[in-house]
Amino acid sequence: MAVFADLDLRAGSDLKVLRGMVETAAHLGYSVVAINHVVDFKEKKQEIEKPVVVSELFTTLPIVQGKSRPIKILTRLTIIVTDPSHCNVLVACTHLDVDLVCITVTEKLPFYFKRPPVNVAIDRGLGFELVYSPAIKDSTMRRYTISNALNLMQICKGKNVIISSAAERPLEIRGPYDVANLGLLFGLSEVDAKAAVSTNCRAALLHGETRKTAFGIVSTVKKPRPSEGDDDSLPACKKAKCEG
Amino acid sequence: MATLRGLRETPRHLLVCEKSNFGHDKSRHRHLVETHYHNYKVSFLIPECGILSKELKNLVMETGPYYFVKNLPLYELITHEFINTFVKKGSCYALTYNTNIDEDNTVALLPNGKLILSLDKDTYEETGLQGRPSQYSGRKIMKFSTEESVMMSYFSKYQIQEQQPKVAVSTLRDLQCPVLQSGELRGEAEASCSAPELFDWLGAVFCGVDPNNEPNNFISTYCCPQPSTVVEKAYLCTVTGFIVAEKICILLEQLCHYFDEPKLAPWVTLSVQGFADSPVSWRESEHGFQKGGEHLYTFVIFNNLDYWLQMAVGANDDCPP
Repeated sequence: MAVFADLDLRAGSDLKVLRGMVETAAHLGYSVVAINHVVDFKEKKQEIEKPVVVSELFTTLPIVQGKSRPIKILTRLTIIVTDPSHCNVLVACTHLDVDLVCITVTEKLPFYFKRPPVNVAIDRGLGFELVYSPAIKDSTMRRYTISNALNLMQICKGKNVIISSAAERPLEIRGPYDVANLGLLFGLSEVDAKAAVSTNCRAALLHGETRKTAFGIVSTVKKPRPSEGDDDSLPACKKAKCEG
Repeated sequence: MATLRGLRETPRHLLVCEKSNFGHDKSRHRHLVETHYHNYKVSFLIPECGILSKELKNLVMETGPYYFVKNLPLYELITHEFINTFVKKGSCYALTYNTNIDEDNTVALLPNGKLILSLDKDTYEETGLQGRPSQYSGRKIMKFSTEESVMMSYFSKYQIQEQQPKVAVSTLRDLQCPVLQSGELRGEAEASCSAPELFDWLGAVFCGVDPNNEPNNFISTYCCPQPSTVVEKAYLCTVTGFIVAEKICILLEQLCHYFDEPKLAPWVTLSVQGFADSPVSWRESEHGFQKGGEHLYTFVIFNNLDYWLQMAVGANDDCPP
């Protein structure tokens, strides 16, 4: 079991809308949200915008409904790679240092998922992300969402799948149990559907944290700079080496 | 297609029905009531009754205060002082509030002195306690249960609030009630209704659903099971709060005494619902929350002191005893 998380709230230019979205998510029962900044690398040398500072957004974080803890807000960067060759998903699965692979829902997938790269991705701890807010907005998107999702499920068997909202407005977010029910439509089992909103999201977040560590086991913490008086310790060590 | 087949299935749920008599030696009604520890709501329905008797009314009003303690660190529950003051005297119940059993750490103190902790993976690894993985955690083992054996002035340094259980009463008019025969749990065609049908009907009554299946009703198409009779009035009383099992035992006995004098009602029902976020249901059977965290039981008490006992649990629960 893990807390419910929505890892995709689209960052727009309006902070008020973003604030509304986070408050709605807290009211619906999500304990963790991630504000997603999307960057498209179609034009070269595009600057990545600065992420939203959480303290600017809220002075006091809204409390999650049904609990006594405030909501946790994270930030996330999504990069769209739209090369004509469709092998990029395979490259992302096997080589790129990413945590989540988003499955596009705006069009029918031009390629079929192949089992080997998907299995490699699952072994590496990558998650596959499905979004549902385009399905709320438009009926054609709904068809593409479900068919792309079913294609994915046939290959990955429901492992490492997360479902998130990609919401741009507060009304596009749905409650965690409703999203778990939506997972059933996508072909997930009851247990996998619930994990798609909780456990697998936690796994993706931990995967992101381990990128700063050595194989996920050792992490470094920046020590405050020592004062000049400690310079004597260096020669002492050297001395010890010579004697030893 | 596999998905379509899967969509037609409902989440797993169990309903155990049994019948017995209160006078029977081996009747386990007392044991089952006493081992269902965390009770959130108690309701009883008495057909053909307009006013409650004085004894029942007093019992309902005296279901006892319960206490909210905010920000209580867990070590307070295992100090010697707490154990000597409360736990050794018996019947001390505690449950964490505002925690969801499928998301957060939940702690429950049982009256037999056991402290049950349902922890998520991180907390379990941090505390270093020995436990076993939950049966209902899916592919990745995330939930663990551990055991350790191990009120206004005691907790005065924390914010403690006394609360009284809320009592709601209503008199239902012209209620369609199913006809039951105490010996026939499965019902008899054209003569009486079965136990699962009664269970559904009782749920409809508690939700205030109109069992007439009117054509302009968008909310429900539920129909009262046949054969049924129309009862002029029925008394429905609901007590909500943290209610201890002993009080429910006394209430059950008092309801049995309802039939000491001849009454029009053929049967009365007593329903008890457990907290959705309790880590245990009966005794120490694990309880979880899949899409719903129900664990409840209902007694249907007949005028000859026969009873039907129905115990229901949801998806992530062990079978009731």
